[in-house]
Formats: sequence, C-alpha cells, structure tokens
Amino acid sequence: MEVIMKKNSFWSPYIAGAGLGVTLLATFVIAGWGLGASSAFSLLTGLGLGKLSPAYAQKLTYFSQYLNVEAPLLNWVLFEVMGLFVGALVASSLTGNFKLRFDKPEHMGTGTRLLIAFGGGILIGFASRLARGCTSGVALSGGAQLAIAGWIFVIAMFVSGFIAAALFRRLWS
Amino acid sequence: MVMSAPFMVSETAGLVLAVVLGLFFGLFLERGGMGNPHKLTGIFYLTDFSVPKVMFVAMLVAGTGLYLLSDLKVLDMQRVWIVPTFFWPQLLGGAIFGVGFLFSGYCPGTAVAGFASGRLDALVVMLGIGAGSLLFAVVYPAIEPFYLSSPMEGATLPSVLGINHWVVMVFVYLMAAGMFYAMERYERRK
Repeated sequence: MEVIMKKNSFWSPYIAGAGLGVTLLATFVIAGWGLGASSAFSLLTGLGLGKLSPAYAQKLTYFSQYLNVEAPLLNWVLFEVMGLFVGALVASSLTGNFKLRFDKPEHMGTGTRLLIAFGGGILIGFASRLARGCTSGVALSGGAQLAIAGWIFVIAMFVSGFIAAALFRRLWS
Repeated sequence: MVMSAPFMVSETAGLVLAVVLGLFFGLFLERGGMGNPHKLTGIFYLTDFSVPKVMFVAMLVAGTGLYLLSDLKVLDMQRVWIVPTFFWPQLLGGAIFGVGFLFSGYCPGTAVAGFASGRLDALVVMLGIGAGSLLFAVVYPAIEPFYLSSPMEGATLPSVLGINHWVVMVFVYLMAAGMFYAMERYERRK
C-alpha cells in the first residue's frame, strides 16, 4: 500500500506548472526562444534516413534543413530533450515512480495498445511538423508569448481531443 | 538599465544550458504527473485536470515574467524569437495533434518523460512520432502551399487586437481563474 501511495505522490499540478513556467521564462531570458520537443524527433529521423539512404533523404526537401548543415547533432532542442529525459529519469527514480512497464488502458489488449501508440505517434509527428511545433514549442512557448500560434493550437487540440474522446469513449476511461 | 537579455552565449555554452534547462523541464513534467498517460488523457474524459492546470499555470508564469522583464527594460523583446503564426496549418495541425494525443496517451515531451519513468509504450509512441515526421517530409512537396499559407509572422494577441499586453494578460488571468475554480469544484463534487 505504501508503495502504491508513493508511486502516485505527484506534486500539485499548480506547483509543477509554476516550476515549468519559471523554467520556460529562464529559457526565454537565456536563449531568446522557448522550450521545444518535437523537432528533436524530426531531426533524428532526418539524420537516420540520411545514413540509411542518403540519396532518398536528399530528395526530401523538408529534411535538407538537417542534412546540409555542418554539425546537425549540435542542436539546441536535441540537447534540451536529452536533459528532459535525464531530469524525468532522476525525478521518477528518486520518488520510486520508476518502473519498467507497458502502460495501457486497463481493458485494452497489448496489440491494440501497440497500434494506438504507434498510430497516435504518427499523427502527433505529422501534426507537429504541420503546426511547426508541438505542445512545448507552439502551445506552451507560444501561448506564454501570447502568440496567435500558441492559442489556436491549444484550442484546436483540446476541441479535437474532446470530440475524439466522445467518439472513443472507452479508450482511456 | 542596459538591456542584456536574452544573452548571446557561445554555441557550447548554449548547449550546456539547453541540457540544464531540459533537466528542469523533465523534473517538473514528471513531478506534475505528465509522464503518466492516464493522467495525460484524463482531461478528455473529465477525470483528471492535471494537463490544463500544469499547462496554463506554466503559460501564465512565463508570460507574466516575459512581459514584466520587457516592460522593466531588462529583456529586449525585439530579440526574443516569437513563435510564428501560420493560421490554417496550425489550426489543422492542432486538431490532428489532439487525436494523436488521445490515441497515444502522450505528446512529444511527455512521451520522453513517460519513457524516463520506465514506460515502454512511450518508446513506441516516440518511434511513431519519428514515423510521422518522415511521413510529413515525404508528402511535403504536395502540401507545401498549404504549409506556407496564412502567414502572420510573429503576430501576438496584443499586436493583432491593438491593445496593451496587460489587458490581454488580465483577460487570460480571469479565464484561467474561472477554469481552475470550475475544475476544483467539479473534482470535489465527484
């Protein structure tokens, strides 16, 4: 019981949100831009394809922004995401929240979870490129700047998420 | 006072700071429960309001600080990169993103936080995000006109509405306060 209690001992979302806000503000002040996440995935995919099939990768004009630079791995968002991973790893380990598992809705089979995880990931990856960023780079960073981009993304995301949840009522609930 | 921020640091120092800021990003995401897909999708079923609470408090704190430092002439807003707006692609992008968020249970940053708390399903989502990026790059020539459509540069709510940023901020505070109040009431009633 104690272990279960400990596992769910998250901070108040208001406190975590305030900490995240200060981190974002520090990023604006130090770097002159906000936090990001999705572009690291796009960068690594582009570079991976560049290794596997250089000729085909060069044909994809969208990936040329990663392939035709001197040291593409020395990328600010990529380093920030590596920090994100370590920060979350330390936090989950110190609080006993780290546990190797395959997390899924209670009544869902592993195959279905694999499908919606990968399929949902494809939608996220595609949408993040179309919107020029994700919940971090556009919604959070843009929203804080009062940028139009941030607010239209947030509103569209929640509206569409609610509609999808109404259509797939038993997916996660 | 001389404006010094944002600081122009060398590339190496910039990357070190990126890791440090990322550490805090990951710490607060994980501690806010943002690595847990049940909590992340809870908002869409009105069972957990952590996502909007974390998100809107973070936006308010960072936004208030940003405009305050700019007004105090500590930070030069002209040198801060404002997230560029492309209205229709970002509206459609946000809509597709919402479905992907619900299905997968994560978004890109929270998938990394989820994987960092031992969730292998989050790793599958991360691979999917890579595949989605590849799909975008493959179809890019066909959708480029749409991708570049409705540009508004670094448009912000104050600049478009032609009003002072604090007027917008007060409106955002009131909206957030009303939303948090409703969420707390709803949670207590359950």
